[in-house]
Amino acid sequence: MRKVERRATICLLLAAVLFLGIALFVWRFVTQGKTWASFYGNQQIYTDGNLNRGTIYDRHGTKLLSCDKDGAHYSDDYELRRATVHVVGDTSGNVATGAINMWSGDLIGYDLLNGTYDTSSNGKEIKLTIDAEANRTAYEHLSGKTGTVGVYNYKTGEILCMVSTPTFDPAEKQSDSDNSGEDSKYFNNFLQGAMTPGSTFKLVTAAAAIDSLSDLDSFSFTCDGTNKYGSDKITCTSAHGTVNFKQALAVSCNGAFGKLARQVGATNLATTTKKVGLTESVDVDGIKTRAGSFTFPDDNAVNLSWAGIGQYEDQVNPCAMMVYVGSIANGGEAIQPKLMKSSSFLSSSSSGKSLGNYLDQSTADELKSMMKNNVKVTYGESNFYGLDIYAKSGTAETGKGEDAWFVGFIDNDDYPLAFVVWVKNGGTGYATAGPIANDVLNKIISDNDASE
Amino acid sequence: MDAINQVVNSILSLANTYPVVAKYVTTGLRWIFVLLAVWILLMCIISLLSTRATPEVWGYLYAEGGTGIPITHWENIVGRSSSVDLRIKDKTISKSQALLIRRSETQWMIKDLGSTNGTTVNGHKLIPGRRYLIEPGDKILFGGVKATLASISLEETRNNEELRMMDKEPLAPWSALLGITAFQILTVIQLILGMGTDITVKALGSILLLGVVMWVYVLTGKAMGRKGFEIELIAFFMSTISLAITASSEPERTFTQLVSVVIGLIMFFGICLFLRDLKRTERIRPILAVVSVILLAFNLVFGQIKYGAANWVYIGSFGFQPSELVKIVFILVGAATLEELFQKKNLLMFALFSFYCLGCLAVMGDFGTALIFFVAFLIISFLRSGDLSRMILTVVGAGLMGLMILRFKPYIADRFAIWGHVWDDPANAGYQQVRTMCYSAGGGLLGLGAGNGSLKTVGAANTDLVFGMVTEEWGLIISVLLILCIITLCVFAVNSIMAGRSTFYTIGACGAATIFLFQTMLNVFGAVDLFPLTGVTFPFVSAGGTSMMASWAILAFFKAADMRKDASIAIKKSKVKVSIPDSKEESEEFEEFEE
Repeated sequence: MRKVERRATICLLLAAVLFLGIALFVWRFVTQGKTWASFYGNQQIYTDGNLNRGTIYDRHGTKLLSCDKDGAHYSDDYELRRATVHVVGDTSGNVATGAINMWSGDLIGYDLLNGTYDTSSNGKEIKLTIDAEANRTAYEHLSGKTGTVGVYNYKTGEILCMVSTPTFDPAEKQSDSDNSGEDSKYFNNFLQGAMTPGSTFKLVTAAAAIDSLSDLDSFSFTCDGTNKYGSDKITCTSAHGTVNFKQALAVSCNGAFGKLARQVGATNLATTTKKVGLTESVDVDGIKTRAGSFTFPDDNAVNLSWAGIGQYEDQVNPCAMMVYVGSIANGGEAIQPKLMKSSSFLSSSSSGKSLGNYLDQSTADELKSMMKNNVKVTYGESNFYGLDIYAKSGTAETGKGEDAWFVGFIDNDDYPLAFVVWVKNGGTGYATAGPIANDVLNKIISDNDASE
Repeated sequence: MDAINQVVNSILSLANTYPVVAKYVTTGLRWIFVLLAVWILLMCIISLLSTRATPEVWGYLYAEGGTGIPITHWENIVGRSSSVDLRIKDKTISKSQALLIRRSETQWMIKDLGSTNGTTVNGHKLIPGRRYLIEPGDKILFGGVKATLASISLEETRNNEELRMMDKEPLAPWSALLGITAFQILTVIQLILGMGTDITVKALGSILLLGVVMWVYVLTGKAMGRKGFEIELIAFFMSTISLAITASSEPERTFTQLVSVVIGLIMFFGICLFLRDLKRTERIRPILAVVSVILLAFNLVFGQIKYGAANWVYIGSFGFQPSELVKIVFILVGAATLEELFQKKNLLMFALFSFYCLGCLAVMGDFGTALIFFVAFLIISFLRSGDLSRMILTVVGAGLMGLMILRFKPYIADRFAIWGHVWDDPANAGYQQVRTMCYSAGGGLLGLGAGNGSLKTVGAANTDLVFGMVTEEWGLIISVLLILCIITLCVFAVNSIMAGRSTFYTIGACGAATIFLFQTMLNVFGAVDLFPLTGVTFPFVSAGGTSMMASWAILAFFKAADMRKDASIAIKKSKVKVSIPDSKEESEEFEEFEE
């Protein structure tokens, strides 16, 4: 008998395998249940392939989309639909990063305890952080062009405006489903785009220079507009004359920044670019933005110069750029952007999730004062009446045209907002993109005054 | 019937008039179901797992210069090694010297196992491998050690009984019975709310009738003076879930499912009574083996293909799966007394029988069931021989055969190909698993309520994917509890060996546990992509008549291993009064001591 008793342990082993297998399943159930439940074949929550419950609102409670057994119902406002479609998403799933696709698990009101059992019968309500009216303002400016506008609160991380053009009306059935190209109307330039940053990248080269060059105070460069370097030219739009570091950024002198890039060196430039998050993907409530890509050759001084000026092979993602300028405003600390407004009080604390210090406080402060100087010297404070604005413009040469950039932030305790504006083939940066930033920021401020 | 009809109609009209109220009822019932299930099952599980039956003492072996060794099993090995039951540490004794087997109060059987120095009784040397009858008081010489066998006095018997009385009493069944009955009544209400007019009165009546059957069984058991009902209560609970799942997916089949439970229960009861007498059981074994061989052969000839395997036999409109019934005999053939474990012939017969069964199943194309038989064969033969290396060899050999099957049966290879990435192909190859996981997740911890599920629209939802269906309609807590029940039965079977009388019962219980465990594993893991989908049933839970009957019948082997005092109907009641059981007409051969 005792022999059999010992051998019977093998039955316990078999039982242990069953137990462990179930433990593994329960673990997956807990961690992946939301994804499983929101599978498109789930007839509990999908009717004819459309979500049959859930509502999406903007931060002020404007209804952007509601789903029921009859299908998806967007806002009645044509312009608003087109201005918010890249945030909300379409029912066919062409906008890969749309809320309806990314957060269907939240829309159906899934939770571990109840599964998809709808205790409320209408699914859950998702409140987005965006201000639909600010989106409308940005959309009106971008209409007919290709571009993007992003604004976020650099202290809480809430994205208040996110518009991408070209766009479309999700309420109408779309005949073409091609969402592969970057010029596609389904493509969200803000999250998925990567484009030549032009002079806005000088904010990164400047940060690298502040950190690595000790004799920056005595830096000076005499720009003749052509700036021959060996047999190559590093041209500027005009001859800037002799400029110091601060002036070089204000007039956006390519010659001066080419010299700075060479002095800083390829390694330091690459390190700083990585440190300020431009080579990484940003996580926006589970949406992974496109990571930027940069090449800093250490064996070709001319290419290195252009890389430091934001040309050459530089590709930046607008969202990552916005987070970076936000960190300059926030004393060097970057805050993770988000699109979903926290419904529970515990997580709706005043400060957002930190992504760490992109810059030292002193570096951030110096950049900040230089960005103010840019506005004073070049963009004109009167063009941004009432806004304590800090900015850098850019005009990116893409070979096919000049893309206009305007990035920066406003210093305001109530509205700590950082922004990025990009207009494809928009020409001179601050002339085209500056007014868009101004109008959108003012719209957000007036909207929030009215409601809060 | 009319009364039920009226009640159903009034509940339906109430639900239609006040849909919001109906919704609240379901919302609340989901909690009640989970709480009731946790309470009922944990009560049974804890009672079974905390069991520590004090072994009964059947006699003492007094060895020269030592104290008496209590004999706590019917079947014992005497020897020097640490793994024998009656250990005498002396160099003249072999590791396994002799068998000592109780036949009745006054009669024991002794058999020398080919020991080095031989065994002598009253001066007569035993011929190794032959059986001799001895009585307490006979002078035995194991090698060079004198020993005597002593029966226990009446007083000792009483003391022993008192000790066993102090064991933890089996769970009184009443509260669990009431709990399950409440569960069944609430299930009926929820099914009406969830299914509306799709549910039939007959289906609902079947669930209520199951409750009646349960009460009748327990009261009968009580009348027979039995105390332990945890095992059956667990099975009744699982059967209730099975009926509810059937009512939700195929209401017209619910009654058949109930009939299967009743037939299964009768089989269970019969096998329990039969197993009481070991000799009788041994005698019927060859007959059952032959019947099984014929049944499988019949299946091979007349089998009909259903879901890819020709494992169904129809007699008129009545269809059943012979392989499910053969499972019961398979355990019986695999189980062996300690004496049989020392006979090569016995193991060979079992191996041949297994080989035949596996061959038939392979020809039928029922590879899921074949796998269960194979694993049961492996475990049982390991329990019998303790030969790990041979077991590994068998697994490797079978693995190679398995590869051949993969080569010749492309549909099985496909199932292996999709294993681990069913989400890559949710429309075809991963269709069933993806839906199982998706709807399971939709059920959450509490479930959507009986009748509210959607997995039932997928093929084989109430059999192969039943784990998903339970999780969707009843919630993860209940579905995991069902698995814990199966694990509990296994642990209980292994634990019971401590006080086991014969290896026959313990091997039987472990074999039954193996079949339950492995079948559950294949069913659940297959449905949720932890293993390729094989299409076997979940014991007690899957819809399907033969499977339900077989589950109940196999349960008898657990019952026969339940050694708690007066707990099990599969064990004769212990009597304090010394009585001599029938030792009449022994047809077996015993050697006489030569004068």
